[in-house]
Amino acid sequence: MHALVQGVILGILTGGVYALMASGQTLIFGIMKVVNLAQGAMVIMAAYLAYGLFTRFGLDPFLAIPITTVIMFGLGVGVELLFLRPLRREDKSELSLLVTFAVALLIEGVLSVTWGTTYRSINASYANSSWTVGSYQITVVRFWAFVLSLVALGLLFWLLNRTRFGRAVRATVQNPESARLLGVEAQWVSALGFGLGAATAAAAGSVYGLLYPFYSGSHYDLISRLLSIVVLGGLGSVGGAVIAAVIVSTSSAIVAATISPAWSEMTFFVILILVLLIRPRGLFGSVNRGAI
Amino acid sequence: MDQSIRSWRKGGVVVAAASMALALGACASSSNNSGASATTSAGAPLVIGASISLTGDFADSGKAVQRGYQLWASQVNAKGGILGRKVTMKLVDDASSPTQVVSNYQNLINRDKVNLVFGPFSSLLTVPASQVAKRYGYSFLEPAGGGPKVFAQNLNNLFFVQPAPVVKSGDVFADWVLSLPAAQRPKTAAYTELDDPFASPIAENVRARFEAAGIKTVYKEIYPAETQDFSAIMAKVVSANPDVLVGGTQNEDAYAQVKTLVQLKFSPKFMFLSNGANSPLEFPSKAGTKNTPGIMSAGDWFPGSTAPGSADFTAAYIKANGGTADTIDNSSAEAYACGQVLEAVAAKTGKIDNATIISTLHQGSWPTLLGNLTWGPDGAPSGSFNLIQWQGGKLVPVFPDATAKAKPIYPKPSWGG
Repeated sequence: MHALVQGVILGILTGGVYALMASGQTLIFGIMKVVNLAQGAMVIMAAYLAYGLFTRFGLDPFLAIPITTVIMFGLGVGVELLFLRPLRREDKSELSLLVTFAVALLIEGVLSVTWGTTYRSINASYANSSWTVGSYQITVVRFWAFVLSLVALGLLFWLLNRTRFGRAVRATVQNPESARLLGVEAQWVSALGFGLGAATAAAAGSVYGLLYPFYSGSHYDLISRLLSIVVLGGLGSVGGAVIAAVIVSTSSAIVAATISPAWSEMTFFVILILVLLIRPRGLFGSVNRGAI
Repeated sequence: MDQSIRSWRKGGVVVAAASMALALGACASSSNNSGASATTSAGAPLVIGASISLTGDFADSGKAVQRGYQLWASQVNAKGGILGRKVTMKLVDDASSPTQVVSNYQNLINRDKVNLVFGPFSSLLTVPASQVAKRYGYSFLEPAGGGPKVFAQNLNNLFFVQPAPVVKSGDVFADWVLSLPAAQRPKTAAYTELDDPFASPIAENVRARFEAAGIKTVYKEIYPAETQDFSAIMAKVVSANPDVLVGGTQNEDAYAQVKTLVQLKFSPKFMFLSNGANSPLEFPSKAGTKNTPGIMSAGDWFPGSTAPGSADFTAAYIKANGGTADTIDNSSAEAYACGQVLEAVAAKTGKIDNATIISTLHQGSWPTLLGNLTWGPDGAPSGSFNLIQWQGGKLVPVFPDATAKAKPIYPKPSWGG
């Protein structure tokens, strides 16, 4: 029982981190109907950037986030302008899979050449610290990662629901044609939206690097989890992605504690298949893809 | 119909080509044999070929092997070579591919007509490579293929240049624990094992020894390679409250196990990690230097070793590559030891050819910087690794007594945080 409760606590905290990563992924899909297979690679790249800033300049990975956010935002906008914008055909969604996968491989290659292929981890002074609450341990990094995820998601919601840009984004998602007729610069919404999605990878990368060892190839594992979270939550729904992330990481913690850790990695995909059988558009996906 | 005839014809062509290739191969091998014996004359350079992974998955370790081979060659040439013959290493890249490694050894032996060959990196590549060497009667000293599949081939030309097969590397920990007075031994044990032929069997061998000696297993888990988050596994370890934790680990899983235990504030009295914890630089940087004291692992070569040639190797390595002794990858030391074995054969027999190497190495004990090596008929070494422990931020050999430089510390100090 003790192991179960301990597992659930850590599972919920980890869910927050996955929620942050998946929110960027689902946002990009919502705006552009592009499945960004490079999202995982962008998270790993941000982890390397945070690692570099930490080892070179001693900058705390949490404090590095504003810097890495700007870099990742720029990268996202650049990728959209250079690689995705030229795809104007009807089959943009399918082609974008190839293009974003190529971007993922490109990022992986650059990271391998720059940092080698050995595992890295960001060992801040508090990386192994935890607070004892009752007889349970709450790790400092996971706790702050969870808080950070809530803050970042809150900002994202604010941006989408309370600003002019957000209104333009939502309009584009609901009906790109009408949005254009009403004067929304759909092209810029796409570029900035992709940049915004990539920017969420910055905070996620810092946290990821603090929690887990990573190397340039870590993104394959990550993207498969992110895709299952995004599909589970309903493609394009940021709120759905958050809830899906917490559901899967908590249930995989419960499975690990009650059945076996060997099965916990499977839990992601078992839940995904079950939900898709019962509700093919995911938990919160709307039929006409109108909501974020 | 038409197509099947065409493919049949194509098949015929392939068969014909293959038989021609075989015939050519036979010619090549016979001419090579005569070539090898002709160049045995003193003065001609001794060319040693090896395929190494300079790119691909094993690139980092492959480059370490390359440094070891080249360092040995330059060292032995500075002393005048082997039996008056200068050593030339011919190293080619296999991109970590089991098919490329076969082509490479075929080319080294048949086209380049090297005198001798050394092994590649990893068991995955050693198995196909050693078969090529066997076909042409070449001896196969190899520094990095220690998995069960390598020895299951039962090749008499193969010699794994490490103290023991990989799956037996944890036995030295069992030897030490069971050598303690009964009152000081752990009573309960937990085993956390990576599902990998080079990790889980090591811990399983220790478990068999411990259970036979009455140490109760309170938890055992084999986790898949993609396990990233160890919270759940370690939470179960904490609940089971074992005296000793035996981790059948590779690299990052070893660091993650330590980190997670620190976070959960549980420090077992004894902790052995088969791999990962024996990495002098990576382990403290990943797990935190403050958390290393008392953790045990197994190793062959270690900085400051007094085994034959170790001091020369260390000095020459640092001179050639910079850094400190702690930055030397064991794969370099193991590759270097292949050369030492060759020197020893030449010194003992006065000859350096494949038949002599194969017939000589199955008997006796051969001193290297990894310690004295002996081999069984299948090429598996019959020695034991050293038990090493983190003490004062350094890896120190603590058992067996012959190589120990400090007394083992137990129970393990609690985590530094």
